[in-house]
Amino acid sequence: MKESLIYGKKKVVTGNHAVSYGVLLSKAEVIAAYPITPQTQIVELLSEFCASGLLKAKFIKVESEHSAMAACVGAAAAGCRTFTATSAHGLALMHEMLHWAVGGRLPIVLANVNRAMGPGWSVWTDQNDSLSQRDVGFVQFYCESNQEVLDTTIQAFKIAETCLIPVMLVLDAFVLSHTSEPVDIPYQEDVDKFLPPYKPKYFLDINDPRAFGGLTSPDHYYEIRYKIEEAHKKALKVSEEVDNDFYQIFGRKYGLVEAYHCEDAKLILVTSGTITGTARQVIDEERSKGKRVGLLKIRLFRPSPISQIKEILTKAEKVAVIDRNISFGHSGIFCQEIKSILYNEIRRPVVFGFVIGLGGRDVIPEDIQEIIDFTYKADYPQEMVYFRGLRI
Amino acid sequence: MKKLDLKVKDYPELAISWESTLVNKTGTWRTFYPKYVPKTPPCNYYCPANENIQKYIALSLKGKFEEAYLTILEKNPFPSITGRVCYHPCETGCNRRNFDESIAIHTIERFLGDYGLNFVEPKRKIEKLTNDKKVAIVGSGPSGLSCAYYLLLNGINVTIFEKEEYAGGILFYGIPKYRLPKEIVKSEVEKLIKRGAKFIFNKELGKDFSLTDLVKEYDAIFLAIGAQIEQELGIPNEEAKGVLIGLDFLKAINLKKKIKDFGKNVLVIGGGNTAIDCARVALRKGAKVKILYRRTKEEMPAVKEEVEEAIKEGVEIIFLTAPVKVISDKKGKVKGLECVKMKLGEEVDETGRRKPVPIKNSNFIIKSDTIIKAIGERVELNILPKEIIGKRTILADEYGKTNMEKVFAGGDCVTGPRTVVEAIAYGRRSAYLILYYLKNYEIPRKESFNLVNYENLNLYYFEKQKRIEENKLSVNKRKGNFKEIITTLSDREIKYEASRCFSCGVCNNCDNCYVFCPDLAILKKDSEYEILYDYCKGCGVCAHECPRNVISMFFEEAK
Repeated sequence: MKESLIYGKKKVVTGNHAVSYGVLLSKAEVIAAYPITPQTQIVELLSEFCASGLLKAKFIKVESEHSAMAACVGAAAAGCRTFTATSAHGLALMHEMLHWAVGGRLPIVLANVNRAMGPGWSVWTDQNDSLSQRDVGFVQFYCESNQEVLDTTIQAFKIAETCLIPVMLVLDAFVLSHTSEPVDIPYQEDVDKFLPPYKPKYFLDINDPRAFGGLTSPDHYYEIRYKIEEAHKKALKVSEEVDNDFYQIFGRKYGLVEAYHCEDAKLILVTSGTITGTARQVIDEERSKGKRVGLLKIRLFRPSPISQIKEILTKAEKVAVIDRNISFGHSGIFCQEIKSILYNEIRRPVVFGFVIGLGGRDVIPEDIQEIIDFTYKADYPQEMVYFRGLRI
Repeated sequence: MKKLDLKVKDYPELAISWESTLVNKTGTWRTFYPKYVPKTPPCNYYCPANENIQKYIALSLKGKFEEAYLTILEKNPFPSITGRVCYHPCETGCNRRNFDESIAIHTIERFLGDYGLNFVEPKRKIEKLTNDKKVAIVGSGPSGLSCAYYLLLNGINVTIFEKEEYAGGILFYGIPKYRLPKEIVKSEVEKLIKRGAKFIFNKELGKDFSLTDLVKEYDAIFLAIGAQIEQELGIPNEEAKGVLIGLDFLKAINLKKKIKDFGKNVLVIGGGNTAIDCARVALRKGAKVKILYRRTKEEMPAVKEEVEEAIKEGVEIIFLTAPVKVISDKKGKVKGLECVKMKLGEEVDETGRRKPVPIKNSNFIIKSDTIIKAIGERVELNILPKEIIGKRTILADEYGKTNMEKVFAGGDCVTGPRTVVEAIAYGRRSAYLILYYLKNYEIPRKESFNLVNYENLNLYYFEKQKRIEENKLSVNKRKGNFKEIITTLSDREIKYEASRCFSCGVCNNCDNCYVFCPDLAILKKDSEYEILYDYCKGCGVCAHECPRNVISMFFEEAK
């Protein structure tokens, strides 16, 4: 592919390829991945970049996602900028190694295309794969558009390397991954300015060999674990700074969360991923009818932007959290998160939880409208969680 | 270990050892230890001259052709000749043969031989050494020339007696030009003359001088008279007109002499290289040629490739057939040969082949006007004193020591008819024994071999690659001329072929040990590796991953 046809151009690309371009621009040095639908195109294009020499990276073919992450762990430990991508069962298989990436404080960037877990076998989107990895310690971003996917990929490396914590960026299967949108591909010089080469603080050095991740007794483990919590605190601050820096160069910013028409809203919807885009449209229509409805998009899931969420939601009377995921026996996971953040507030809204669109079932404006109407009418939720669009 | 009052801020971001892991000398865990033990590649082992083939292939790969050429010269002074005519047992031994196809070693040797003659020899310095000892060499065939080379190299005065008018013996007079152009032989002889060799031509042992004459005048004598007498068929009427002697026939052709009584239908009797050469030469002279051999193709002592080429060119071989009687016309001129059909019997002869026995009443006649005898050569023993001769050959040990003071012998006259490379090797060995006697050199010791077999290699690291093919003159273009059939390959082609070499038993810095050692216990120093035994746990991964069996594991004795 001709370089002149990439950099500084507006291209119509899929979400998957937006990730690939992000990685290309970020000059990843090692890529190890195993193909899985709907992620495959990400590494497919990256492998072409590597083969053509456009991206000077080692592309490691592996026999499983566990190995993919293991290879990334090794490469990152050696001091390389490292990337992998996966989906659903692949991410589940990586699970053990995700802990290694976090505990080893390795700034690996992972793109996860949200795909529903089987069985029943599915390739379509929902968030249970990435949310199942909530507690491993990865930073998690949920993206709404292909441009955001590309931009977040570049930001992810910077956040990861500044805080020594791995970052997962998440995009919906097919709705983003296989859908084309116009995307601005930045100039390489601009990205280089934004993201300088990675200078590792710790790395495998044959001149000063150290044991990494060795046996750590109860006398020390806790303190080192606490350092990860500190890293998450730092990541919250750094993510905001990085977003601002990004804006300075590229003129685009996303925030850790985005409040849409929330200032005077009585009811605020909480969404993530591509449902946000659908909800925006419904909010616009409601507003044109004079209804005081707003939308809170959660972009950064971990670390949790607690103060921003509190500040925005405590002003509303009601909150409706829309989850494309479920924690069986309880409720949607975002809903739990929101409730836990608000619980100790003296003035807090009533929180309604809605689960919708599992296994990639379309979430259409009428669904959102129904949720708004329902929440408007009800005083208080009678159920922990409402299942929308379910044929009972 | 640090104290327990450490606070969060005192810790690194991750669990990393406080100290360098070098304090942990894991070498004490070891029960086996690895060691770099270079071994013998089969090519070197099977080469009768024990050329360091692996080494010159490796040098060729790097384009270091001069060094490669000089490497061959340590064991064989005439690679341009052996590169053309050797039966290359190195290739038969080559481990790659079991993988895809053996390395075309002869093409590399040939290239280097030619490269040496063209580019190295003209500028090669000749050290003038003190010539206080004189050696006479009788015969200028491959063993005589080889012996002369190594003696000259070590400052010995060498005089070579040759009964013919040109040097080279079988190389000049026997082997046809299409296999070995005579300019090549001349260039190689030139190499010796430049180094101070004195040739005396047209002087024959037993006729113009005797061994006693030489013993009086020289400090040592090396007999390299070859095996040049064609054996008789031992059948009636074999002295008829038109019955030719194989070596004489080849000699006449090489000297471009006219052949008397040479007809259109030629029968060659025999299955060795002389027979094949005679047949192919006769063919080029426009004859229809048949070879008569009393056993089957399997038992033919001739080089396989040569037999195949002969058949391709149009030579017909009649197997399991032996001559009974030459039939001639009234003027005593050959007109045919009575033959008998043979079958392989149960009895086995001294060469391990089944003896052919005639089938009764199977006699038949083949018409022909010329018969060439080529059933093997013997040594002319009647010109030599009794004390040094045996039944068929001169008696000498493998370094050429005979029963007579000052007298050494080597090549075909000791072994009976063999090959050029064996004669060259014999000449070299004898030269060093002579040097031991004359200049108190270290006595040549037998080399010890630690052979690498196919099973010893780790084939995972090799890919199938096609063997290079030589350009051969098409059969049509060979007709009626003696043009050399094969052309020397280009340096690019040679490098390709060299790249196929497994380098059995010899480290070529592939870095596998260095890369795979899980304990980073292998250090790279220039072109060598060093095992850090303080840390090596003896896991054996390096030995296993070495593609070429250079690393061996040994049991660690208790201390």
